[in-house]
Amino acid sequence: MHLRLWPLIPVSVLALLAIPATWAQASIGVGIQAGPVLLSGSAHPGGSYALTPVYVVNTGTQPETIALRVERISTGNGMTVPSSWIRATGTAVTLSHNQSARIPLELAVPDTARPGRYFSDVVARGSGAIAAGSANLAVAAATDLEFSVAPGVVSGPWLSLPGWLLPGVVGLLVLAVAAFVIRSSGLRVRVERRSASESGEEQ
Amino acid sequence: MPASSRAWRWGLPLLALGLAGCGYSSPPAGAGHSASVNLSLTTVPTIRSVTVSPAKANFSSCSGGKAQNNTESTSTKLGFPNGQCWVGSLGATFPITITNTGIASQIDVNGASAVPSDDITEWSLCNVGSNPFVACSGRNNDLPGKDQYLVQNFGPYRENDSGLTDNPRCDQEFDRNGRCWAMQGSSETEGIKLTGPYQSSDNSTKWTVTITWTPVP
Repeated sequence: MHLRLWPLIPVSVLALLAIPATWAQASIGVGIQAGPVLLSGSAHPGGSYALTPVYVVNTGTQPETIALRVERISTGNGMTVPSSWIRATGTAVTLSHNQSARIPLELAVPDTARPGRYFSDVVARGSGAIAAGSANLAVAAATDLEFSVAPGVVSGPWLSLPGWLLPGVVGLLVLAVAAFVIRSSGLRVRVERRSASESGEEQ
Repeated sequence: MPASSRAWRWGLPLLALGLAGCGYSSPPAGAGHSASVNLSLTTVPTIRSVTVSPAKANFSSCSGGKAQNNTESTSTKLGFPNGQCWVGSLGATFPITITNTGIASQIDVNGASAVPSDDITEWSLCNVGSNPFVACSGRNNDLPGKDQYLVQNFGPYRENDSGLTDNPRCDQEFDRNGRCWAMQGSSETEGIKLTGPYQSSDNSTKWTVTITWTPVP
């Protein structure tokens, strides 16, 4: 009977050794794209713009819910971006170990915005925290946010034309010119229909 | 010159030009099938990230407070006034490991107001020293006053004497060369010293304190 238990002893010892190792390696981590979040072109007061979605990754071993917020941390030139100007269009994302996601952001510039260069940081903050006694240890990661606001109110939506409209109008104009040219040249195309009896008589 | 004749003279070339533009171009003589080669390229990761991994650690070795008022600290409970608790110990143990797992970045650290379990009156962070961000209002401005507390992180090489602030600031434990610059893979071990308020308006006995490390450009 005792002999049957012998093989279990090494397995139990290995299991006991492995459990504390797993605990010791438990970590929390958050990553964000190193490249700045930019807006192609300039923004205008009163306009709304979709920024490039921000890449975030969970670099820890624990699942993490990551949310973005705008905060000025790093040094840079420009006016601070009010956090109310930036909206995360998606909700916070929950990521497991090494999982990544892209979180879309929208820039909404108020009518009263001052023209000029703006600078802040987009901060990815993890909700997960490791409790060390009564202290929660947390992680975040930041990347730059840069854009410019040009003077002048953004164009109204009634001025924005669909992309197919201009080529369509040009095509119609070309056809109209062609029709006018043919008409004024005196060219006539005459279509005649002849009955079968007439054809037979001719034969 | 009759009108119809003028129209022919100008109209036909224009029409021919337009029709020619609408046509397709045949491949040049001698052009064969195209060939392509797929080449793969691997780049280094461009992610800014940090990882925190404490070993088993607790606020412990609490001391201070006033025995006459029955508010003296116990080993794991903070007392009043101005009790102190530790995660790790100065010059000896540093249970928290902070690792820069992304590209070279500045490592900042910040605290936040301590939140009581009833969520009514928080303790705000304060600082000591010659140039405090928010001055502690306790004795000689060296100790937290009412509803204030002080968090100082320390490592094997130095202690953050002035204390953490609400805003992310250079983690001085990474500050070996006058800047908090950490290369990929570099890590520091740290501990935490917490000094409680002179007096607390909130009667909660459970509080949440959060310390955050952030890599910034």
